[in-house]
Amino acid sequence: MHALAIETLPRPRPPKPVPPLRTRLAMTARADFAALVAAVAASRDRAAFTALFVHFAPRVKSYLLQLGTSAETAEELAQETLLAVWRRAPQFDPMRAAPSTWIFAIARNLRIDLARRERRPLPGEEREPIEQPDALVAAAEDGDRLRSAVGRLPAEQAEVLRLAFFADKPHAEIAALLRLPLGTVKSRIRLAMAKLHAILEPSP
Amino acid sequence: MTTSHHPTEALLIQHAAGVLSEGRDLVLAAHVAVCHLCRSVVRRHEAIGGALLESLPAAAMDPTALDLALARLERPTPTEARKPSAPDDWIAFDSPAVAKAWKRRRWAAPGVWVAPIFRGPGRSRTYLLRVGPGMSVPRHRHRGCESVTVLKGAYDDRGSIHAPGDFALNDESVEHRPTVTSGEECVCLICTDAPLIARDWVGKLFQPFVRI
Repeated sequence: MHALAIETLPRPRPPKPVPPLRTRLAMTARADFAALVAAVAASRDRAAFTALFVHFAPRVKSYLLQLGTSAETAEELAQETLLAVWRRAPQFDPMRAAPSTWIFAIARNLRIDLARRERRPLPGEEREPIEQPDALVAAAEDGDRLRSAVGRLPAEQAEVLRLAFFADKPHAEIAALLRLPLGTVKSRIRLAMAKLHAILEPSP
Repeated sequence: MTTSHHPTEALLIQHAAGVLSEGRDLVLAAHVAVCHLCRSVVRRHEAIGGALLESLPAAAMDPTALDLALARLERPTPTEARKPSAPDDWIAFDSPAVAKAWKRRRWAAPGVWVAPIFRGPGRSRTYLLRVGPGMSVPRHRHRGCESVTVLKGAYDDRGSIHAPGDFALNDESVEHRPTVTSGEECVCLICTDAPLIARDWVGKLFQPFVRI
């Protein structure tokens, strides 16, 4: 079907190499999330909001459940997170962060606020000086590369990394939980982060 | 602002993940607010958090969740009351908790005021400490760790100058007598795991009043 479609079209130039379908789908989806946030910002687009909600709310809820939040509170905070996406969409800067990064930070701060009732600034509210160009993350692409890199980490590094983010525990408790020396836990987290950071470095 | 003393990578990860205790997180946030190096590191850690978020399985939402969210979209957002703010000559770190504490500061000894911010967990205390120019904090050690970010002025700790925005983490191996070197007062945001252990008679006299 694919080949047929190509043959019936006029082809002035030889086609560019086509990335594998999975990658192509992922790239489309990635670009779309940033575009959906932009649509919410520009025209209060409820359909765009719905698409963001359907994708992110269940994952935010999942994140909160992993941190030991009750199901009821996780549901409510997932709602609040997406409502904050609606309200703060104009402040979202696709040059600075991937939508998933931004939404993660919103969910994290709302959870902390609830626990503390002391507001940490939501991302986008901070007034920040202009970053040096090399500190800017070409966000959507990086999000893709990062996500696939997380999937390729050795199991023991992925485990400590997940716990470092998704268990409300200091590193010493993670070490006790995994019955590992504290040094091992710290070095695994460091190794995993170093690998992922290498992905974020600008390519030569 | 360029700062010369920074938190470890492990602390920045825990800050980005949002899993530090309230007090420690506040001390770290004050440093990150004015240190563009650490802020860009935190931003990268957050990108990893975002990637991890996307790798999670979707949890089942309440069947009415989307309708409820859509119904809430156009509700006006509550306007916020004006927040108190800390003095202008402190580092640019906007924290209602710090500003509120500053208004409750109390003189504890000549040249020294303390303003408690949080108590707990356990014996942990988070507070502002003001020490006058040229003065020293009596020699002491720590139980557990102490994190410090300088909000104003500067101090010398064992030959190293800590200026506004600088971060320090002192563990149980540290015994010190920090001395204010700025011509003006030095104000620090501090979180300790437990009360200090005074190491000289001045400190032993001073501690019951200062209660840190």
